[in-house]
Amino acid sequence: MHILVVEDETRLREQLRDRLRNTGYVVDIAADGEEGLYYCEEYPLDLAIIDIGLPKLSGIELIRRLRSRDINFPILILTARGNWQDKVDGLESGADDYLVKPFRFEELEARLNALLRRASGWSKPVLECGAISLDTARQSITVSGRPVELTAFEYRVLEYLMLHAGEVISKTELTNNIYQQDHDRDSNVLEVFIGRLRRKLDPDNTLGPIETLRGRGYRFRREAGTG
Amino acid sequence: MHSIHSRLLLAASLVLAGFLGATGLALDKAFRVSAEAAMQERLQSYIYALLAAADEDSAGRMIPPRELPEPRFSKPDSGLYAVITRHDGEPVWHAASLTGRDIGAGEQQTPGERRFSRLERPDLQLYTLAFGVAWEDDAGTEALYTFTVAEDTTVFQAEIAGFRSTLWRWLGGMALVLMLAQGAILRWGLRPLRTVTADLQQIERGHAERLEGDYPRELAGLTSSLNSLIGHSKAVQSRYRNSLDDLAHSLKTPLAILQSSQPGNDAADDSHALVSEQVQRMDEIINHQLQRAAVSGRSTLARPVAVGKVVQRLVRTLDKVYQEKQVAVDLDLDPEATFTGDEADLTEILGNLLENAYKYCRSAVRAGVKSAQHAGGVEISIEDDGPGIAADQVDMLLQRGKRMDESVPGQGIGMSMASEIIALYGGKLSFTASPLGGTRMRVSFGPSL
Repeated sequence: MHILVVEDETRLREQLRDRLRNTGYVVDIAADGEEGLYYCEEYPLDLAIIDIGLPKLSGIELIRRLRSRDINFPILILTARGNWQDKVDGLESGADDYLVKPFRFEELEARLNALLRRASGWSKPVLECGAISLDTARQSITVSGRPVELTAFEYRVLEYLMLHAGEVISKTELTNNIYQQDHDRDSNVLEVFIGRLRRKLDPDNTLGPIETLRGRGYRFRREAGTG
Repeated sequence: MHSIHSRLLLAASLVLAGFLGATGLALDKAFRVSAEAAMQERLQSYIYALLAAADEDSAGRMIPPRELPEPRFSKPDSGLYAVITRHDGEPVWHAASLTGRDIGAGEQQTPGERRFSRLERPDLQLYTLAFGVAWEDDAGTEALYTFTVAEDTTVFQAEIAGFRSTLWRWLGGMALVLMLAQGAILRWGLRPLRTVTADLQQIERGHAERLEGDYPRELAGLTSSLNSLIGHSKAVQSRYRNSLDDLAHSLKTPLAILQSSQPGNDAADDSHALVSEQVQRMDEIINHQLQRAAVSGRSTLARPVAVGKVVQRLVRTLDKVYQEKQVAVDLDLDPEATFTGDEADLTEILGNLLENAYKYCRSAVRAGVKSAQHAGGVEISIEDDGPGIAADQVDMLLQRGKRMDESVPGQGIGMSMASEIIALYGGKLSFTASPLGGTRMRVSFGPSL
C-alpha cells in the first residue's frame, strides 16, 4: 500500500513516515501543499494523509484540486483545532475521514485500514476469502479458525492481495506497494515472500489461495480452499 | 417624548399657534381702535351738522335745528340720537328719535371740549360724543350748550364681529395649511433617519452586510462609523479566531509528535503510559479553553443562520465518517428556522450532539428542527436508538473537561463543550428518553436580542 503524508511539521512528518514504514506501508512525504499535489498527480497512491494547515496550498484546497482532477483515492485529514467547521469543510472538500491532533498512532492505523478496505470495496473490517480470513482491525489472520503468525511485510503482501482478491496483480505493482522506491527491487525477494505465505497459509497444500499466472503476476482466489 | 418627529411637530405647532394667536389679537385690537376712531369722527361730523342746522332768533339766541341733517334723527329708535342741553343740564332740544329715552347726557362740557364715551346699560349700548358750545347773542351774552350725539353700538359690534370672523377664519386656514406643510417637511427631512433605521434592520435580519445607502451629509459620519464598527467587529472576530487557530496548531503539533512517538501496545512501561495520559489531558485542556475562547456569543449584528442547512451539512459529513455503521437518519427540518449567532458556534454545538447520537445509536438517528413559537427562537431535537444515558451520567458528561484536574483520558469533551456554548447563547439543553429507545437531546434558543 502506497501512502503519502503531507505535513509541514518536520518531526511529525518523519515520525509518521517511519512508523508507517515499520508497519509495512510504502510511504512518501511532502512538506507543503504544492509538493503534495505533485506527488498525488505523479505517483499511483492508495491513500493520502493531509494536514489542513499547510503552507503554499492549504489542505482543503489541495483536496479540492485532487478531487476536481478525478484523483479519487481515500484521503484522511489531520486537523489541529478539531472544531466542526474544519471537519465539515474538510469532508465536504472531498476527504473521507478526519483525525484530530494529537492522535494515537494506533488510531491512525485503524482509520487507514478502514479507508483502504472501503476503497477496495470491502465493507466489513474482516476480509474473508473461503477459509482464510484477515481482520484488518486486529491485523490477525486465521485459516479455518486457526491463527497464523505473519511478519509485518508478509501481512502487507497478503492484505494487498486479499483487498484485490480476484484481480491479477503484477509483480511490479506488488513490489511497488511493498517496498520503498530506494529498496532493492529484486523480484526474487517477492517470490520468496509469496512462497513463505503459501507455506504458512496452506501447509498441507490443499487450499491453493495464491495462484501464479506466468508472466502476468499473482491472483488471490476469492473462494480459496472451497473449490 | 422619544420621537424626533413628534418633538419637532409639537414645538413647531406651539410656535405656530403662539405666532398666529398674537397676530390675530394684534389685528383685532388695531381694527377696534380704528373703528372707534371712525365712530368718533362720525359723531363729531353729526355735531357739526347739527350746529350748522341750528338757527338764530332776532336777538341772536340759538334756535335748535329744525331741518335735521340725517333722517335717522327723526325716526324713533333709529339708533342715532341727539340732545342739546343748557349749562344747568336742562335739555333744550332733542331729536325725535330719542323720544322717551335717556342717553345719560347730563354732564356739561366747557366750550370747545369734547368727551367720547361708551355707555353700557342692559337696555342700551351707545357711543356718545358730548361737545361744549358757547353761543354769543347780539347783546354779547354767552349761552353755554352741550351737544350730545349718540349712536347705538349694534352696527359697530356687527362690523367688529364680521371682521373677527373673517380674521380667524383666515388665520385658522393658514394654520391648517402651515401644519400640513410642516408635517410634510418633517417627513421629508427625517426620511434619511428612517432609511438608516430600516437599513440597520436589514443588517440585523441578515439581508445586508453593511449600510450601503446614499445618506445625507449630516448622517454620513454616523453611517460610516457604524460601517467601520461592523467591519471592525468582524475583523476582530476573525483575527481572534485566526490567532486561536495558529495557537492550536502550534500547541497541538508538538503534542502529536509526543503522542505518536509513544510505542503503542507494549505500554507496559509506566512512564510511557504516564506521558501518553498527560499528553491527552493537555490536549483536552487546550481544546476546551481554545474552543470556549472562540465562541463569539450573541451579537445583534450577527446574520441569522439557517439551522436546517447546518444539520444537513453535518449529517452528510457524519454519514461519511460513520459509513460502516449504515445509520438510518430521519430528518424533519423547518427551512425557516434560524439561529441568531455565529455559524461556527452552531456547527460546533450540533456537530458534537449529532456525533454523540451517531456514536451511540444502534442504527437510527432522528433530527428535528423547528421555529419556536416566539419569533426568532428555535428548537432542535436529536434522538438515537442507542442504550441511552442514565440521568446521573448526564452531569458527568457535561462537566467533562471543565475542570482541568477531573478530565478522563480518552474521553471526548464534545458534549461539555456543546453545553457550554449553548449556555453562552442563553439556550437550554435537556436530555430525555427517546421513543426510539435511546436518548433525546433537546436544544432550545430564545428569540434574538
